[in-house]
Amino acid sequence: MAMKIGADQFKERVDKGIHDSFMRGAVAGAQDGMSTKRRNATEELGNWEDWRSHGEEIRQHVLENLDYYLEQLSENVAKRGGHVFFAQTKEEANEYIRGVVQKKNAKKIVKSKSMVTEEISLNTVLEQEGCEVIETDLGEFILQIDDHDPPSHIVVPALHKNKEQIRDVFAEKLGYEKTSKPEELAWHAREMLRKEYLSADIGITGCNFAVAETGSFSLVTNEGNADLVTALPKTQITVMGMERLVPTFEEMEVLVSLLTRSAVGQKLTSYITVLTGPREELDVDGPEEFHLVIIDNGRSNILGGEFQSVLQCIRCAACINVCPVYRHVGGHSYGSIYSGPIGAVLSPLLGGYDEYKELPYASTLCGACTEVCPVKIPLHNLLHKHREIIVEKEGKAPISEKLAMKAFGLGAASPTLYKIGSKIAPAAMNPFTVGDKISKGPGPLKAWTDIREFPAPNKERFRDWFKNREKGDKK
Amino acid sequence: MMTGTIQNRDKFLNQLANRLDRPRKSTSVERPKWKFQPQLEVLKGASQDELLAVLKEQCKVIHTSITVTDSKNLSSTINEVVSNYGGGPVVTWKDERFSKWGLDSLFKQEWPDQKIDLFEWDLSKGEENITKAEKANVAITISEITLAESGTVVLFSDQNKGRTVSFLPATFIALVPKSTLVPRMTQAAQKMREIHQTTGHVASCINFITGPSNSADIELNLVVGVHGPVKASYIVINDL
Amino acid sequence: MKVTLFSTCLVDMFQSNVGKSSVELLERLGCEIEFPESQVCCGQPAYNSGYVKDSKEAMKRMINTFSDAEYVVSPSGSCAYMFREYPHIFKGDPIWEPKAKQLAEKTFELTQFIVDVLKVEDVGARFEGSVTYHTSCHMTRLLGVKEAPTILLKNVKGLTFTELPGKEQCCGFGGTFSVKMAQISEQMVDEKVLHVEETEAEYLIGADAACLMNIGGRIERRGKPIKVMHIAEVLNSL
Repeated sequence: MAMKIGADQFKERVDKGIHDSFMRGAVAGAQDGMSTKRRNATEELGNWEDWRSHGEEIRQHVLENLDYYLEQLSENVAKRGGHVFFAQTKEEANEYIRGVVQKKNAKKIVKSKSMVTEEISLNTVLEQEGCEVIETDLGEFILQIDDHDPPSHIVVPALHKNKEQIRDVFAEKLGYEKTSKPEELAWHAREMLRKEYLSADIGITGCNFAVAETGSFSLVTNEGNADLVTALPKTQITVMGMERLVPTFEEMEVLVSLLTRSAVGQKLTSYITVLTGPREELDVDGPEEFHLVIIDNGRSNILGGEFQSVLQCIRCAACINVCPVYRHVGGHSYGSIYSGPIGAVLSPLLGGYDEYKELPYASTLCGACTEVCPVKIPLHNLLHKHREIIVEKEGKAPISEKLAMKAFGLGAASPTLYKIGSKIAPAAMNPFTVGDKISKGPGPLKAWTDIREFPAPNKERFRDWFKNREKGDKK
Repeated sequence: MMTGTIQNRDKFLNQLANRLDRPRKSTSVERPKWKFQPQLEVLKGASQDELLAVLKEQCKVIHTSITVTDSKNLSSTINEVVSNYGGGPVVTWKDERFSKWGLDSLFKQEWPDQKIDLFEWDLSKGEENITKAEKANVAITISEITLAESGTVVLFSDQNKGRTVSFLPATFIALVPKSTLVPRMTQAAQKMREIHQTTGHVASCINFITGPSNSADIELNLVVGVHGPVKASYIVINDL
Repeated sequence: MKVTLFSTCLVDMFQSNVGKSSVELLERLGCEIEFPESQVCCGQPAYNSGYVKDSKEAMKRMINTFSDAEYVVSPSGSCAYMFREYPHIFKGDPIWEPKAKQLAEKTFELTQFIVDVLKVEDVGARFEGSVTYHTSCHMTRLLGVKEAPTILLKNVKGLTFTELPGKEQCCGFGGTFSVKMAQISEQMVDEKVLHVEETEAEYLIGADAACLMNIGGRIERRGKPIKVMHIAEVLNSL
C-alpha cells in the first residue's frame, strides 16, 4: 500500500463516504468519544497550553537542528552495534530492507503499526520478495486479512468496520467460527499472532520518537504487540520518518505524554518501550541484529519552507478526531493514508498537488484542528497556504472561479463598483426571488440553493438606511 | 560490542543543511533553556504516601489490582495474589532482591511442595527461557521506578531480566518498593539520563508498563488482554 | 465614545436589520456611531479561497477607510477576525504592516466590544422566548470571543437559554466551501440543524450573519419552525 489509496477521484470518494452510513455512525461516535477523552485528559492538567507550548518549542528546536541530531542519533545507534541506513527515497529504503531480508533468508516478518512503512509500500516489496508479512496491531491485522483494506484513521485504522463485518472477514479468511464479540475476535487474533511472533525471522516497527543522545527509540502501544515484535525475532528493522526524534529522554517523555493524552486520552498507554541497539552480549531475548532506516521521502523539501511546522507532527490524530469534514466523509475520502486535517496538509506536500489538490479545500478553516494540536501546528493556516499556492503559483484553480474572484477583487476594492453592484442586486436577483428568498439561484448560487434558501438582497441597503437616518436627524 | 555501520549519511544530512540554508551542524548543539516546563509541576512536592494514594486511584482506571503490604508479609501476599490468579507456572527474573526480601522459602520450598512450577530466568538455558515464559501463567518482576500519575512500573532489561517475562505470561505482577514512587514519567526520564551520563550505558530495553495489554480497535470497545498479559497486579511494599 | 461601524457586506446587502440593531444598541449604550461610506468587503471570501493578491486591494481599502476610527466594531466575529489577521497578511510590508496593526488593535466584534470595552454585561433588553446560540468558529477559536455573547444573552429579561449540543462544531459554511464542497457542507449543516432541534428552542441566535444564512437557509428549506436571529437584534429588543 502506498500513501495514495484507491483509484477514485475525490468527488467519488466523498460520495462513497457520505453514503456509507455505518462508517459515518462509527466515525461520529468515535470522534465524540475520543475528543471527550482527549479534552478530559488535557484539561485535568490545568496548564495544557504550557504543555503545548513546550511541545512546540521542542519540535521546532529539533527541526532547526535536524542534521545535528540525526548525526548524533546515528553515531549512538552504531556505537551500540546497530546499523543505520539513511534513505532519501522510498526506493532506497525498500532496497536496503530487501537486502537485509535476503541476507537473513527471511520467510516470515511480523510488523507493528507504522505509517511510514505504509507510505513507502514496504509490505508490497516484502511480499514480492516471497515473504509472509503479518501486521500485528489488531486494527492493522483486520485490514490486512481483509485483502489489504486501507486504513481510515492513523490511530484506529479499522475504524470504518463494524464487528459483524470483522467477524465475516475472520470467518471467510481464517475459518473463525465464534461470535462478533470484540473479546472473542481479539482472542482469536491473539492466539494466531502468538505463533507468528515466535516463528518470525524479522520484526519491523515504526518509531514514535528516537532519542539522539543515547541512540534509543520509543514505541507507544496499548496492545504490547510492538514489544513482542521487537523481543522475539532475531533481526529487527525500525523505520522512522527523519523528523521523529528528540534530543534526550527528557524531551521524549514530554512528547510521549502529549501523544498519549491527545491520541487516546490516557495519561500513558499500557506499553511504552524504549529500545537501545540490539540485545546485549549475554541477553537471551531481543534482536541479535538491529537496523534503523531513516526516511526522507520528500520531507526535506518541506524543511526550511513555509510548511516546515507540519514536520512537528507527532501523529496523534487529535486533529482528525475533531475535524467536522472528516466526521462526514471518513478517512478513505482523503485518498491518502494520511487523512483529516494533517492529511490534507501533508498529502499534497508528499504526494503532489496533481494528486491531492482538492484536499486543502476540504476544510471550512474552522480552526478546530489548530486548537487541539498538541505541538501547535497552525493546521488551518497551512491549508490556507496550500490554497494560495494552488491559485497563485500552480494556477490550478478553475477558470470560472478565477474570473469570479477577479471580479470580486475589483468590486471589493472599489467603493463605486461595490455601491453600484449592491444597489442593483435586488433588481438583478428579482427574477429569482420569491417573497424574501431565492430558492433556485443562478450560476454559482445554484450550489447554495440546491441545499438552502438564499436571502433576497435588501431593497434598502443598510448604508442607505444609515444615510437617510442621518439626514433625518440633521433636519 | 561491534560498532554498527552507517550508510548514506552525508548526502542525506547535507541536503537537510541545504534546505535549512546554512552549513551543516555537526559540532555540539546546546539544548536551549526551555521556556515552558509544565511537567515539573505535576505532583510537585508530594510525599511518598500522597504518591501512593494517587497510584491506588490510578490503578482503578488501568484495570490493575493493587495490594499494599510490608516486607514481613510480602511472601504471604505474593502467595495469595498468585493463587488468586490460578497459581503457576510462575516465571521470574533472576534477581537477588527476591532472596533479600525473604522470598526464598516461598519460591524454593512452598511452591515446589505445592507443585507450583517456578522458573527463574537463566541465561545459560537460552531459548528455553522463552518457552517457559510462553507457558507461564504468572510473571513476577520488580519495578525500578514507579510513576504515580499514570500508574506505571518501569523495568530495565538485562541478561538476568528477560524482556519477554513481562509480555508472554497471562498475568503480570510487579513488586513495587514504595521508595520507587515518583510523581510521573518526568522523573524516570531524568533518572534514565542520569544513569546514562554516569555509566555511559542504557539498558537495551526499558519498559514502561501501565496495566495489562488492551485494544480498542474493534468499534472502540475496550478489550483487555490482546497480545500481552490479560491481567496485571502491583504489590506495593510499604517499608522498602 | 465614538464607534465606527464596520457593517460587513453581508449585513449591508442582505441583513440590514442587523446593522440597524447594532447602531441602535450601541447608541443606547452611549456610543456615537459613524459609518464610512467607502467601506466595502474585508476581502475574506477571496483571501480564504487562496486569492491573496486579489484580496489585498480590498484590504488596503479597508485599512484606509478606518484609519481615523477610534474603535471599529463589527456585528460579525469572522469579519472582525479578518481585520485582526491583516498584520499577518501584510507582514514585512513596510507601509501596510504598521497600518494593518493599528487597525487590528482597535477592532472588536460587537458583543466583545460591549463586554470588554464598554464593560456592560446587561444591555437592558427584553426578549420573550427560548433560544439557543451557535458559537461561530472564527469568532470563538480565532478571535477568542467565547463568553461575551452568552453573558449578554443570559442577562436578557424574558429569555430562556439552552446550550446547543455539539456547539463547537462548524456549521459547514466556510465561505466558498459551502458551494465548492456543497455535498459535505450539506451534511454538516444538517447535523447542526438536528442539534438545534434537539434544544427545542424557538430561536437560533448567532453573532455571524454568514453562519446564520447557512443554518437559517437550511432550516427554511427543510421547513423547520425555528426562527433565526442575529444577537444584535435580540439585544436591541426592548
